[in-house]
Amino acid sequence: MVSIQQQLQKIKKENRLGIMTHIVVGYPSLKESEKIIQTMADAGVDFIELQIPFSDPMADGPTIMQANRHALQNKTKVKDAFGLMKKMSGKISIPLLFMGYFNTIFNYGVERFCREAMECGCSGLIFPDIPLEEEAKEHFLKFAKKYNLSNIRVLSPASTPERIKKNAEVADGFLYFVGRKGTTGAKTKLDEALNCNLEKIKKYVKIPVAVGFGISETKHIKSLIGKAEVAVIGSAVLDRYAKAGIGKELEGVKKFLKLLINSASYKKPTR
Amino acid sequence: MKNIFLKTQYDADKRGHFKKYGGRYVPEMLIPALENLEKSYYEARKDPKFTQELMELFQNYSGRPTPLYFAKNFSEHLGGAKIFLKQEGLNHTGAHKINHCLGQALLALRMGKTRLIAETGAGQHGLATATVAAKFGMKCTVYMGKVDYERQRPNVFWMERLGAEVIPVMHGTQRLKDAVTATLQDWIANVDDTHYLLGSALGPHPYPSMVRDFQTIVGLEVKQQLKENYGINKPDVIIACVGGGSNAIGIFNPYLEDKNVRLIGVEAGGKGIGTVGNHAARLQKNPKVGVVEGYKSYFLQDKDGQVQNTHSISAGLDYAGIGPEHALLWEKKRVEYNYVVDKEVIEAFNLLARKEGIIAALESCHAVAYAMKLAPKLSSKKNIVINLSGRGDKDIFIVADALKDKKWKEFIKNKSREKN
Ligand SMILES: Cc1ncc(COP(=O)(O)O)c(C=O)c1O
Repeated sequence: MVSIQQQLQKIKKENRLGIMTHIVVGYPSLKESEKIIQTMADAGVDFIELQIPFSDPMADGPTIMQANRHALQNKTKVKDAFGLMKKMSGKISIPLLFMGYFNTIFNYGVERFCREAMECGCSGLIFPDIPLEEEAKEHFLKFAKKYNLSNIRVLSPASTPERIKKNAEVADGFLYFVGRKGTTGAKTKLDEALNCNLEKIKKYVKIPVAVGFGISETKHIKSLIGKAEVAVIGSAVLDRYAKAGIGKELEGVKKFLKLLINSASYKKPTR
Repeated sequence: MKNIFLKTQYDADKRGHFKKYGGRYVPEMLIPALENLEKSYYEARKDPKFTQELMELFQNYSGRPTPLYFAKNFSEHLGGAKIFLKQEGLNHTGAHKINHCLGQALLALRMGKTRLIAETGAGQHGLATATVAAKFGMKCTVYMGKVDYERQRPNVFWMERLGAEVIPVMHGTQRLKDAVTATLQDWIANVDDTHYLLGSALGPHPYPSMVRDFQTIVGLEVKQQLKENYGINKPDVIIACVGGGSNAIGIFNPYLEDKNVRLIGVEAGGKGIGTVGNHAARLQKNPKVGVVEGYKSYFLQDKDGQVQNTHSISAGLDYAGIGPEHALLWEKKRVEYNYVVDKEVIEAFNLLARKEGIIAALESCHAVAYAMKLAPKLSSKKNIVINLSGRGDKDIFIVADALKDKKWKEFIKNKSREKN
């Protein structure tokens, strides 16, 4: 399996924007999650977030929230997420990350969660609701590091320079920048202030930046070229999956991703 | 002028930790807004003008002080301790919720916010938020779980008359916790011009401390009224219902340091605490710590940390979490937490209405129901104060249903036929 660092280097060498996609474990079913991950990998994405479903996903919009609910109704358990991580990390070579909410980790035990995540082949953790200020109590950064998991910090347009600096100090792998104010969800237009905000972030953050929230079209991807290193496509894939005809879901996802991935290539090497 | 900003050994530290509970577990996008709120709350604490303005609103707008009423008939009927009712239901808008709404509205103005958003369960907090929004000329959106939206219809109607937009939340259990999540999501998207006017002593720092401070007026008034009106130095027992914990912490706070005053919080036992989903009693069996909705405390949750369904006859107590200071007070055994079930609540509702002519909110009737069990065991020399957090007008549909009132059913039927 390739590490996050290696994958980032590969992206750089290939002169393109990296692509990270997202699935909710157990949505629409555990079996199907497996197939979607495989489809994404086959299409050529660089990273995949496996979201562990949670009852109260506060940073997620309607599409992903619904998927969380659905997964829980399917009785998806945290151990299923570990199982899926283990199985898929053995099958595909790109880095897989866990995304979710801190209560899941807290409840599992922070150290135990990190250790088992590593053992299952997980490369990084994206948990937006555990700010640095709680580190003294939770030791989340400490154990992520101990078990070699990249702790992906999440920043937003509302982040002040002071917050950006603080997070930049501990950020690992890449930084996840939420492209607009609001919860997750596909939008036709990206936030107008995005460029400006990205410049603000780039001033303090020296590691690669992934931009998420709202990316659903090739023009979004193109507009990020040269400004960020990775584009995150979340809800848009789920929407695509849901809209495809019965039996054609995976094919639909693959086509959609191919299109986006093809648009992620730099025409000319920049700088 | 009363000082509502007390210091006790149970207070949070600078980061909002009540020992191991509380804190600020939110996505980065909300941190700046919370830091800003914290700053303006700390400034307001030090500014006598703020307290003065709030006291004037309490008095002239809300009708404070609310009476502390000796419920003689009720006490004699139960045959034991004397029972006093702190009549928070006589506030403008009918519940204690207006206390923290006025306080937070003043802070929102100071921060230059032009829009208020809130979650609500029983609708009392939403109603109070819509009220202060109207008064201060702010826009207002209230989120309400679909279940509560249906069962507390009168409050939805009044909120809309006050100019608020009321949005039923279809996600999750369609109750209070889902309304909190929806409001947080709105805040994430509109954090620049919007203040989240949280309705209980919970959520990320500084809400639990701030809401407690604005509710502390209740306990301070009780202290003074007991002395001045009844010649009683201090009560022996104080009882309050506990949803998120705002009315309870407000009346307890001035007495926390006085171990001679027994403090009792009453949770919603619903249809019985034996079955998950049938109750909202978080501190009864094997309380489990979690981190949900921005704070660490006890939550009704399963093995995986998924928040569980709850039930209570009162929407305002139908909540899976409990404010972090209550978690600490429980751990330190400073406050006892008990529960009563729906059936006892309706009995309490009826008895109080018949004996004292007071229609109390179903939330508050939890405290009354517990007092009915306790008072007969105590001597008539003992004094119990109940925080009667709200009045019961909003519960007309629920009570009519619970009592299977035939005339009311008939009325509703005819009413629905009337249109066209
Ligand atoms: C009248 C009344 N009492 C009590 C509560 C419970 O809230 P808390 O525990 O914050 O006082 C509510 C909440 O809606 C209420 O309306």
